[in-house]
Amino acid sequence: MNNLIANTFALVWQEAAVGRWQTIKQGVVEPDLSKFLVIAALLFIIGVAGVLTRRNIIVIFMSIELILNAANLNFIAFTRYLQDTGNLNAVAGQVFTVFIIVVAAAEAAIGLGLVIALYRNKETIFVDKIDLLKW
Amino acid sequence: MTLSGWEAAFFWVFAIAALVAALLTILAHNAVHSALFLISTLVSVAALFVLLGAEFIAGVQILVYVGGVMVLFLFVIMLVNVGAEERGGETLFNRPAQVATSAVFLVLLSLGFIYAIRQGYEGLLIRDNLITPEQRAEVANRRRAQQQNLRPAATGTSRLSEDTQLVGASLYRFAALPFEIASVLLLVAIIGSVMLARTARQEAATGDLELKDEG
Amino acid sequence: MHRLIWLIPLLPLAGAAVNGLLGRRLRFSETVVGAIAVSSVALAFLLGVAAVYSYGFGSHAQWPAAYVTSQDGAFGYQWIPGGATELTQGRREGAYHITPAARAEAEERAREIATETGTPPGAVLTGAQPEPRVLGALLDVEWSYQLDPLSSIFILVITGVGLCIFVFATGYMHGDAGFYRFFAYLGLFMFMMLILVMGSNFMMMFVGWEGVGLCSYLLIGYYFDRKEAGDASRKAFITNRVGDFGFALAVFGIIATFGSTQYTTVMAAASGYPVEPLGQFGLMSWLALGLFVGACGKSAQIPLYVWLPDAMAGPTPVSALIHAATMVTAGLYMLTRTNVIFQHSQTMMLVVAVVGALTALFAATIGITQNDIKKVLAYSTVSQLGFMFLACGTGAFVIGIFHVMTHAFFKALMFLGAGSVIHGMHHEQDMRRMGGLKRYMPKTYWTFLAGWLAICGIIPFSGFWSKDEILWNAASTTLIPYGWLLWAVGTFTAALTAFYMTRLVAMTFWGKERFLEVHAGGQADEAHAHAYDEDVKQHHARTESAGDRPHHAPDERVGIAHIEETGGGSHVDARGRDLHDLHDPHDKLAHAHGGHGHGSVVPHESPPSMWIPLAVLAVLAVVGGFVGISPAFTGGAHVGGRMNIVNWLEPVVWNPSTKQFNAPHGAGGGEHAANAGDPHAEPNAIAQNHGAPAASTQATPAAHSDAAPATHAATGADAGGHSSPYGNDTGFNLAHAAESSLGGHTAAEWLFIIISLLAAGIGMLLGWLFYVKRPHLPDLWAARLGALYRASYNKYWVDELYGLLFTRRTMDAARGIYAVDSKGIDGAVNGSAALTRRISRYTGNFDRRIVDGAVNGIAGFIGRLVSPLLRAAQTGLTANYALVMVLGLVVAVVFFFSGDILGLVRGR
Repeated sequence: MNNLIANTFALVWQEAAVGRWQTIKQGVVEPDLSKFLVIAALLFIIGVAGVLTRRNIIVIFMSIELILNAANLNFIAFTRYLQDTGNLNAVAGQVFTVFIIVVAAAEAAIGLGLVIALYRNKETIFVDKIDLLKW
Repeated sequence: MTLSGWEAAFFWVFAIAALVAALLTILAHNAVHSALFLISTLVSVAALFVLLGAEFIAGVQILVYVGGVMVLFLFVIMLVNVGAEERGGETLFNRPAQVATSAVFLVLLSLGFIYAIRQGYEGLLIRDNLITPEQRAEVANRRRAQQQNLRPAATGTSRLSEDTQLVGASLYRFAALPFEIASVLLLVAIIGSVMLARTARQEAATGDLELKDEG
Repeated sequence: MHRLIWLIPLLPLAGAAVNGLLGRRLRFSETVVGAIAVSSVALAFLLGVAAVYSYGFGSHAQWPAAYVTSQDGAFGYQWIPGGATELTQGRREGAYHITPAARAEAEERAREIATETGTPPGAVLTGAQPEPRVLGALLDVEWSYQLDPLSSIFILVITGVGLCIFVFATGYMHGDAGFYRFFAYLGLFMFMMLILVMGSNFMMMFVGWEGVGLCSYLLIGYYFDRKEAGDASRKAFITNRVGDFGFALAVFGIIATFGSTQYTTVMAAASGYPVEPLGQFGLMSWLALGLFVGACGKSAQIPLYVWLPDAMAGPTPVSALIHAATMVTAGLYMLTRTNVIFQHSQTMMLVVAVVGALTALFAATIGITQNDIKKVLAYSTVSQLGFMFLACGTGAFVIGIFHVMTHAFFKALMFLGAGSVIHGMHHEQDMRRMGGLKRYMPKTYWTFLAGWLAICGIIPFSGFWSKDEILWNAASTTLIPYGWLLWAVGTFTAALTAFYMTRLVAMTFWGKERFLEVHAGGQADEAHAHAYDEDVKQHHARTESAGDRPHHAPDERVGIAHIEETGGGSHVDARGRDLHDLHDPHDKLAHAHGGHGHGSVVPHESPPSMWIPLAVLAVLAVVGGFVGISPAFTGGAHVGGRMNIVNWLEPVVWNPSTKQFNAPHGAGGGEHAANAGDPHAEPNAIAQNHGAPAASTQATPAAHSDAAPATHAATGADAGGHSSPYGNDTGFNLAHAAESSLGGHTAAEWLFIIISLLAAGIGMLLGWLFYVKRPHLPDLWAARLGALYRASYNKYWVDELYGLLFTRRTMDAARGIYAVDSKGIDGAVNGSAALTRRISRYTGNFDRRIVDGAVNGIAGFIGRLVSPLLRAAQTGLTANYALVMVLGLVVAVVFFFSGDILGLVRGR
């Protein structure tokens, strides 16, 4: 574990100190595909964190929306990448994104219906109070 | 594929805004605040879509997510009583052990992801280098020409409408079956949410539930 | 100015939208609704006039080249962005011949597409590399409008006649609860009709085609509370679907064959195909057949005419606008628009001509015996449409369109006149209850007379010019065989037309005033519906028993009976006057109620909003024919240059003998100067087209190139010969026989004019004899020709036949399918459910005793061993399960990138 953290710092240091500073600067001034992917990955992780740690089921749903959005961002970024590297008519990613948004909307409708039903029956929306899965 | 100039600046602004708002979404005490932060995240991501040239998707994102789904969220928050959490009377997170375990795994996961992205992107760069600069310039020229050679018309066309046409054409031509299936999915969602959100009396009225005699 | 034509359809649409969407909400008064509707159409008409003037005669006149709005960016956008299409060219070699040049051109086009798009659309999702198709075209359907000689005529007729009818309808529909709805539908119809005729491609035509079908459905069923209106609207809609199916197939065929829907492209491409003589039924014939089926449906030809008479259930202005003047001529428009395709097939030309002639005859014979004034007009419309088809089938497309125009004038006039009569008679349509209306409705009467003379074909009136030209072309055509037979049928039908139209006028406007008698007895409708018949019968009996009695005896009898029943003639008059006042159109409430009552009524003249359009149309019906004055009257030439409709329209028509579109006749009347300027007309083509027949000594038959130039070309080739441009002998030709025997072209034409005038005169004379002079004759002849009379009276039982053949069969099929569904499928489902239930009972027992026993036994054993562990894992909390999922994800990432991560940990 210590090794990992040390090596990570070392990587950054190397890049910064040993002549890679220019590369990093260029990465900031001209963000490329990987930046978008990293942002998407971080959004995804934040979403997962919300799902795992929150008690409020509504916020969990919101976190799921975050996860879906991270996927959307990936799709769109790759679409642009394909368009810029030759396939002018590449829109498959956008089409997929539309479907993801549809699914997200359907999921939200059903999920929030579930929340209401749950609240009527159990009078709570905290997931750690709901352990019906274990009968 | 790179952004530059103002686009780059906007990229960082919106990317950081999206991340911060996402973090605040899962950290906010009040569910309403969470929803509002989530809206900020979604709008920021929509802005990233615009930077990526997907204006139509950005519009859909704003309309469907922010205009539809998030309003639904706010309604549900209004319907279920979250007063306790709002007052701080309830703990925000699950049991500490679970939170800790999750955090460890998530750090591992994010490191793994970022590393994977770096590795994969290098592969893409290598692939891109297989294309000669002339070819790349030709692609850029074609793209420019495609945008400039739009036919003039009284109704007016632009790259935006052309791209949207392309998306629409693909949706209806190549993704027609999934499109129809999605419509069925939405129908199921409508029916499902209506069925789920019924009160006991409504369920009894349709004979799905036998209401116990209330005294 | 013609850059603005895209506004023409939009104006009626805007009017319709305002009326339809806001009319009810804002409670528009009738004045407002009428003003909006009429002004929108009037503006469209003015714009149309200006555009056509600018197109044909202005300083930047483009006539005869078609002007498409997308050409100079005036209006147009890519409506359906298509993609590369694969053409069927060459797929079915042998069915038709594909030239190497055409193939090379298609291949070149395919390469162009590949470079144009970079990637063919098919590769968007699959990521495939662009590969040029062998035979392809870029199918782009654009939304743009086309102004050419044909569409300009239609624009003027539709908006002009439409304007008259709109004005008329403001009076006719006065007091109707759905006033705004009516005008919204009518405006929508105008929009769709204009789209139909102004669109620059088949897709737009199809949109308009279906749109007018929809509006027709809505308007026929306007009185939707009446069952027959609803039934009629559905009948019209379904019958039209049959035709539309053919049309759609033809459009698909056109797309597959030519790879485009744009008229200009398709027509240019179709010109190059070889013509198909009689008996050969190749690609062009199939396309033409599909188009013709569509035209049959919309233009009410055999066998799809049955909807049009029933469509009279709609309000009368609708009958005038849609079911007489405009929509039903859409078939003619399409025929003329696609005349290149039709002229490629001699078989289909013959079919068109024969169907047209038969329809004309068939409908005319039915029209003789009908008693509903609108039904008579409806069958007359079908008959006249048949004439137009006959013209097209003999190659005289121009004359067909000419007849469309004159017919629009006089038939709209007659329908509106009938509407005025119906309005004046308080919604009475049965002619047996009319008579003598001349005295009560003089304006309607005089205008109606103009329409009557026009449709009968009396010489200076508009109908004469077009009908005579049709008959002349039928007799003189060499495009198809048996022209003389078609001419004979046409002439006989013309006589019939004159007869039944005279009958209509006589029963409505002349003779005695039967409505007084009919309504004297009160409300017993059915008894009095046949009052006319009884009256005639009694008259007949009386004249038989006492032949020297004066003929007006029944009148006296009726008068006496009337006085007896009502208690005094003065009283009747007072009552009549009262009711007349009551039904004054200015009294809204009373009028609204008056529409349905069949009290004793005295007809009244219609308000100015109704008779002024009548007067306008009457003027048009009188003088409208002079734009196509017969060359026999003008020294053998179509005079007037572009002002002559024949010269104006001629460049639209394709000529099978020269395989080119006809060359335009310049600005001067009959001049050939413009031909030289036409870059497409080769000198020898002109010579062949317009070359003077060697045998003819008459003035300039060459200039008489009346849309059947093949006639003269053939005459020029071998004087008096009958060889058609399809290269086969068309047999005996009446006109050529007359020409050679009379020694001149014009003389022969004069002969035919005299014959057709004689036919009309005989028809009118007979009508006058039957229904004015000796009213007992119709009954006598009906009895003598009992079988024929009954057949005609019952419309040859075609409706019943269709009911038996199609409707009943469809119902039977539906019932059969329902039986299959309820017995077979439901039975199968229920049966399998019962079976499953039975099986499940056995398996349930098995399950409970043996499986459960085993499981319980084992579970009990294992449970004691490992259950504490598993129970700890199963918390029942969602978050825990999610955590396990994330763990799985981490494991997956680690698995896929284990080497890299290890490298990271070790410091590379």
